[in-house]
Amino acid sequence: MRVALAEDSVLLRDGLARLLKDEGFDVVAQCEDATELMRKLPAHAVDVVILDIRLPPTHTDEGLRAALEIRERYPGTAVLVLSQYVELGLAMELLSDSAEGTGYLLKDRISEVSEFVDAVRRVASGGSAIDPQIVSTLLSLQRTDDPLDELTPREREVLELMASGKSNHGIAESLVISVGAVEKYVSSIFGKLGLRSTGTESRRVLAVLLFLNG
Amino acid sequence: MATPRGEWTDESEAVKGPSLIVVLAIAVIAIAGAVGTILVRLASDHSGPDPGLQASLHAWLILPYVLCGLFAWHRKPESRFGPLMITAGFVTLLSSISAANSNLVATVGMAFDLVPFAVFMHVFLAFPTGGLRSRGERLLVGATYAFAFLNVIGLMLGGFDPGNAFVVIDAPELAADLLKIQLTAVSVLFLVGFVVMVTRHGVAGRPLPTPVRVLVSFFSLAFVLGAVLLLSLALEIPLDAFLTIQRTMFVVVGAAPFVFLLAILDARLARSAVGDLLVELRSEPAPSDLREPLARALRDPTVSVAYWLPQYDTWADHDGRPVTLPPPGDARSVTLVDSDGGHLAALVHDPSLDDEPQLLEAVGAAAGIAIENERLQVELKAKLQELAGSRERLIEAGQHERKRLERNLHDGAQQRLVALSLELGMYATKLADDPDAQSQIRAAREEIATSLEELRDVARGLHPAVLTGHGLGVALKSLAAGSAVPVKLNVAIENRLDESIEVAAYYVVSESLANIGKHAEAKTATIDVTREGDELVVEVVDDGVGGADSERGSGLRGLADRVEALGGRLRVWTPSGGGTRVRAQMPCG
Repeated sequence: MRVALAEDSVLLRDGLARLLKDEGFDVVAQCEDATELMRKLPAHAVDVVILDIRLPPTHTDEGLRAALEIRERYPGTAVLVLSQYVELGLAMELLSDSAEGTGYLLKDRISEVSEFVDAVRRVASGGSAIDPQIVSTLLSLQRTDDPLDELTPREREVLELMASGKSNHGIAESLVISVGAVEKYVSSIFGKLGLRSTGTESRRVLAVLLFLNG
Repeated sequence: MATPRGEWTDESEAVKGPSLIVVLAIAVIAIAGAVGTILVRLASDHSGPDPGLQASLHAWLILPYVLCGLFAWHRKPESRFGPLMITAGFVTLLSSISAANSNLVATVGMAFDLVPFAVFMHVFLAFPTGGLRSRGERLLVGATYAFAFLNVIGLMLGGFDPGNAFVVIDAPELAADLLKIQLTAVSVLFLVGFVVMVTRHGVAGRPLPTPVRVLVSFFSLAFVLGAVLLLSLALEIPLDAFLTIQRTMFVVVGAAPFVFLLAILDARLARSAVGDLLVELRSEPAPSDLREPLARALRDPTVSVAYWLPQYDTWADHDGRPVTLPPPGDARSVTLVDSDGGHLAALVHDPSLDDEPQLLEAVGAAAGIAIENERLQVELKAKLQELAGSRERLIEAGQHERKRLERNLHDGAQQRLVALSLELGMYATKLADDPDAQSQIRAAREEIATSLEELRDVARGLHPAVLTGHGLGVALKSLAAGSAVPVKLNVAIENRLDESIEVAAYYVVSESLANIGKHAEAKTATIDVTREGDELVVEVVDDGVGGADSERGSGLRGLADRVEALGGRLRVWTPSGGGTRVRAQMPCG
């Protein structure tokens, strides 16, 4: 699996590259800023780009703009955005119309190596990785007449994992239950929330996030 | 008290009027000349029909110009208008001696035959200042003089009188052609002069009093008469018709000095305007802006007042904003109003007022105390503006520093801790078989995670970085999502605003939401961010218990400082039991 990195902190960039190489990824480009990344991308058939949301020169929105541009220009390339802060508004902007091959994680998550690598793989293969902090923010949104109240605690757990981009298989693994059980929970949740079940898992992520965002 | 800037700033250099002896001498010479010209005409062997009437008409031109000119010179020694009128009278005298029997004297008179036309045009256009206003006017008058003096060449060619004293070669036909060209040219120049005269009183500048304006317009008709007269000479129309036109013109032009005199005497009328000014300045309440009463007293609606602020070494307008005075020679004139201590103010006015130093002085003296008072007000306003500016700069500098610290944290400590945590994570995978090491590493990573969490809070408190990168809408969404009560957020602005405005709006919302969470016991809150005209309006409303307490007040005080430093307003309505409404309005261009 071919990965490109864009991160201006050398320490972090090197660490990430080593981590990914150890895990069997092919790190084809290590870039300092978005311009370098956009220049190097065409030469490699990159499966996933991992980039910092704050990049030189202004450290404001270069990373996000690059991410949106990559999604637009290279539909086959997945994008995983890392950030020191996760902002609900940014997540919604990044996902705007599709969660396919898109991830937005707090930088802290990198150190949970297996979880992180799992997220990279999931995103690279067209899935999604949404930071648990975004999901919990969405779930904690105060609502009047809250349909979430009707969910059982188990259903709520499934919903959280579903919103963070986990597949049925991943959810089953996390909760140590069968895939069949997960499928039952999912259809029950969709019924209670009044959502139509959609085909792919990444579409399911977007539907759930949009619902939670209100 | 008032001194025009430039030539007359020093008393000792003030232009003195002509002495009585000079005045009397000139008057006597003019009267003698007028009598002389009548006698010369009556005794002339070539003066044409009605010599008595013609001679009287010449005297009618000479005397009013010289006498009125003398009066004007005496009244306004610094203006060239008086001497110019006197010159016009004597030039007319010179042209009238063409009737003399002496060949040399008559030739000199003939040389001056057309010059009065040029001088009268000069006088009319130079009224009331004595100077011409533009290069175009100087060119016009200069060209008229030049064509008028071409008579000398005509005489040298044997024109007018083949036996004249100046003849060099005998080419009377050439001289006749030259004369026709001269007459046509001066006629055209007169028509141009008429257009200039009529149009310029309609445009900017200081209007003359209405009766004078009407009369000046009437006398500008003399230009048309002059043009017709010259054309009729060139076209050689019957003598009767020519004489009728000539006499009408003489009567009209000869009456003009009385009008000029009226306008000059009008300066006396201005004294009553100064009286009105005094009354107005003493009225209660005193006028808030001196410009209007000063403009009325000076009869110059274009007047503006600049106040001297020695502390800032600058002139400032009524609102305390710095202004620069027009440089000497500009289209606007400047008169300084001084006190013992130095400058008080400067009146920037129409240049025609330079001819009325007494009026300027009287107005300056009458308004002196009011001007001094207003100068102090203006100084206060300038200080307040400076204060507001420095408050804004202080907040901006603080914000800048906070932003820099946030950046340092983000690029330094936070990145290092993340990298460190990553290293530990990698060791953990490598030491998968060693549960002791695993648990130690996990403990260390949890420490780092806590540190990162704390650093994030510190950094966010320093500066909401998301705001800089992504704007108010995105930043407020996170704030609303983190609120303790359900929030309805409406952000109806599309463009990015000045960072200081965005930061202030952000803090208004975050502080208000924090207050709502702590004190309001509200069920819901609404945040509206809209643009009303040139203002950004941020409103946070809750349905809680209302009733401000001091603790809430102090947080809001800091917000109000921030908002006011940007030229905005922060208001809070918090009736007991009626919820709380915080509304910030800030100008956003």
